[in-house]
Amino acid sequence: MIFDREAPGVRRFLGDLLRDDAAADEGTQETFVRAHQRLPTIQDPGKLQGWLFGIARMVSFEHLRRKRRDALPAQTVEEPVQVDQAPSPEAVLLSAESDRVLDGALAHLAEERRAALLMRIDHGLGYGEIAAAMGWPLQKVKNEIHRARLQIRASLAGYLDEGAR
Amino acid sequence: MTHVPAEELESLALDELPRDRAAQVEAHAAACPHCARELSWLRAEQTLLARRPPAQTAHLWAGIAARLRHPRRRPHRAWRISVGAAVAAAAAVVLVVTVRPRPEPVAPQATRQQRERPAIDPKALAALDRAEADYKDAAKVLEAEYARLRPRLDPEMARRWDETLTRARAQLGESRAVAADDVNVRMRVLDGYAGYLRSLRDVVQDSEEAIP
Repeated sequence: MIFDREAPGVRRFLGDLLRDDAAADEGTQETFVRAHQRLPTIQDPGKLQGWLFGIARMVSFEHLRRKRRDALPAQTVEEPVQVDQAPSPEAVLLSAESDRVLDGALAHLAEERRAALLMRIDHGLGYGEIAAAMGWPLQKVKNEIHRARLQIRASLAGYLDEGAR
Repeated sequence: MTHVPAEELESLALDELPRDRAAQVEAHAAACPHCARELSWLRAEQTLLARRPPAQTAHLWAGIAARLRHPRRRPHRAWRISVGAAVAAAAAVVLVVTVRPRPEPVAPQATRQQRERPAIDPKALAALDRAEADYKDAAKVLEAEYARLRPRLDPEMARRWDETLTRARAQLGESRAVAADDVNVRMRVLDGYAGYLRSLRDVVQDSEEAIP
């Protein structure tokens, strides 16, 4: 059944985008209701996951747009930071706090950039599928994922640097 | 030394490369510090993400199935009025808060705390208090409705609904704990109440339909 197979990924994706469990639950339900209504329109059943993530992405952005009317401005770290001299990735994995730092680093990414990065490295979608889900040119997908990675690494390395001092 | 393209390293980290090519890229990375470091980062990111717990979704299907069965269903019975009143109150708050006069400019000698937290319009605060009270009243009505239906539900379904509501209440509690007298934070508390009411509404609607 499509729901059993795809819902955990969609729910996790929406949890990462919305950062609110109740909203992510509701967004997952909304995604599957819309998917059910649009199922006859799917062009390539082999790309069901990317198609579902495209719907989930729209659901999340609609929710955030409504919420943003009254919320504080989101804090984002816009510019990538060079991390070649930073601590090693292995040290990041061994750090007890790395999961929390990763979560914080993801939260500080701009929403669309975060969505593209997670589609690629958490859910394994190809660049073409992400371009279709986001409605972006392929090159933009590559640029955004690259920048997202640099920001994440800067956050993780920055945390380890602080810990070392 | 020519480096392997970043996307190919990424495909290797995600285990997407054909075996032969994967072996070639691994061999290159073993001799190239630049590619080795990039590959280590890619694998570290992947590992960090993969070790997060999986999302639980079994409790979501009943709500989806109910919406598919009744796509245009609207809330009904007496509790619909209470929910409608709470939503109207929240809308009024948005209006009051967004059209309230701008706070007076803060004097240059004001403390940092004063500069960061402008004076709060008493009308906005009063409206927030009223809306929150309305949301609480609506939640009480829906909670009572669920308590009435719950004994007739399948125990497994009741357990899932209880979990849904417990989670929604916990989130509301977290937002309420940091509320203080800040209009923006108080507005987010109202969002929390709205989310809790939506969960309650789904639970009550699905409970009604599940009872023969």
